[in-house]
Amino acid sequence: MESFINAIVSGLISGSLYAAMALGLTIIYGISRIFNFGHGVIALIGAYTAWIFVQNSKIADMSLLLGILVTIAFLFLLGFLLYRYAMNPLMKKPNWDISTVLFMLGLGILLENVILQIFGPRVKSIPVFKEGYIRIGVVQINWHEIIIIFIVIIAIILLNVFFKRTRIGQAMRAVAQSIPGAQVVGIDIEKIFSYTFGLAFVVTGISGILLGTKYYMNPHIGWEWMVKGFVIVSFGGLGSTNGAIYAAIILGVVEALATLFLGAMWVWPIWFAIFMVVLLIRPQGILGGRA
Amino acid sequence: MKKITSNWQTAFVTVIVIILAIYPMLGPSSYLKHLFILFFIWSVVANYWNLLNGYVGINSLGNIGFLAIGGYTSGILSLRFGLSPLITIPIGGLVTGLLVTLFLGFPALRLSGIYIALLTLIFADTLPSILTQTRDITGGGMGLHEIPPFFPGMEKVHAYYICFLFFLIAMLILYKVIHSKTGLAFVAMRDSESLANTLGINRYQERLKVFAISSFMTGIAGGFYVHSLGDISPTTLSIEPFLLGLAMIELGGIGTFYGPILGAGAIVFGNEFLRLAGTLRLALLGALICGVILFYPGGIMQLVEELGKRIKVMLNRKKVTE
Repeated sequence: MESFINAIVSGLISGSLYAAMALGLTIIYGISRIFNFGHGVIALIGAYTAWIFVQNSKIADMSLLLGILVTIAFLFLLGFLLYRYAMNPLMKKPNWDISTVLFMLGLGILLENVILQIFGPRVKSIPVFKEGYIRIGVVQINWHEIIIIFIVIIAIILLNVFFKRTRIGQAMRAVAQSIPGAQVVGIDIEKIFSYTFGLAFVVTGISGILLGTKYYMNPHIGWEWMVKGFVIVSFGGLGSTNGAIYAAIILGVVEALATLFLGAMWVWPIWFAIFMVVLLIRPQGILGGRA
Repeated sequence: MKKITSNWQTAFVTVIVIILAIYPMLGPSSYLKHLFILFFIWSVVANYWNLLNGYVGINSLGNIGFLAIGGYTSGILSLRFGLSPLITIPIGGLVTGLLVTLFLGFPALRLSGIYIALLTLIFADTLPSILTQTRDITGGGMGLHEIPPFFPGMEKVHAYYICFLFFLIAMLILYKVIHSKTGLAFVAMRDSESLANTLGINRYQERLKVFAISSFMTGIAGGFYVHSLGDISPTTLSIEPFLLGLAMIELGGIGTFYGPILGAGAIVFGNEFLRLAGTLRLALLGALICGVILFYPGGIMQLVEELGKRIKVMLNRKKVTE
């Protein structure tokens, strides 16, 4: 029983991490209709940028914060420029859905191997925010994991405020609902799309940093993160932000229970099976995205 | 789909086929023959992948997985049960076609294009962990070794001709498929979805048909792959073969008949030079794919077409001046 409860708690923790990771995917798809097949490597870029700062400084606490800020600025710029100079020309062509997928895949592999060249194949990890743990009954939680959950919740609240209250966030939601409708009321689609890419890359990069502190990272781990993100966003409904969060938490718990009862080797086949079942029974996902 | 049956093109293709047919008699090294065998098999894989991605608009990312299923099935049957590859290769193709159509085609082809991309990618990603789970049959991470060749005492030359024949037949079938009713239905659907619907074309059924054909033929190619090379392991499902396949389609010219063949040739032989680049090879391939999509989306076929136009203009000018 004790291990069962602990498995559920650790499932909730990894679920909230998965939610952070899936958010970037679902934001891009929901607003721009482009599916980011380079998602994993963007998260990795975020994690490695933060890692540089942590590794090369004397004051340990401030450096991570500084690293996160630099990551945010860098990834926003990357997303913005990527949309401007690569996605935008591709979107104007008739078979844009296939060419953007293949382009992002190629770019992802290119960047992955650039990371491999710079940082080498060895496993790295970002130090945790705070050592130690607390005990509540039979459950034992690290302080670090509490902080991660806290950051994820804050990020989700901030994103919601951004989408509901700010002008640009409202414009993004308008574009997500209908592109011609948004154009009629005078929204500059290309501008919104490039901001969307910037925002989604920032969210993805931060989730990469969190994943890098909880688990380990190497240049190839991005694929694993990305494929998990794919299952989560389809389970939650493509383009639905809240759906992705619920789906991530459900899948995190399922994964923890599968590891407890069946063993870690069965985790991947189970993710695949869940994906199949979702597609067969409810392809629009739990909260109903675009099917 | 452009009609590409002008006289000089037919002549060119015939000459190439004849050259490929007499090439082994010129006594090339065993290594070159090996490369040509790879080229034949990769052309088939790339072109049937292109049938999905380029002609029909099914975003498949799992064709290397189809290749592995066909290869493993045929390899296991001939290695463990001693059956002749003549029987096991078609069985491998059938198993691939059935599995893929059941598990990927039925659930995803009704939905929008992105689902099939997700499902096929995740499917190909799940296969290695299934292979390591079933270590007793599939050899796990080590893979299968010493898979029997097409017939006992086979030499490289025989493998060359067998794969060459397979390549020709597969291309002929592909040509027929593209010009069949199903192929025409896809042209109609690509050009105008609503008109195609009005004409009574069942989109789901036609897509399912093409998906079955592509997976079946890719599975067969997997059989030819294992019996001519002799081994297969989960590295077949790693990122590199996947990237090679995509690069062939993109470099050659997506949505054209000859493009993926030219792309396969360029990549199979070019990749040997790229080995000099060591670990940077994958980065270069990724950059190649991005560059072609962004700056020259028609690939080699676009180049060929532009050159052809320029030659035509030059010839016309000569006539005028005369």
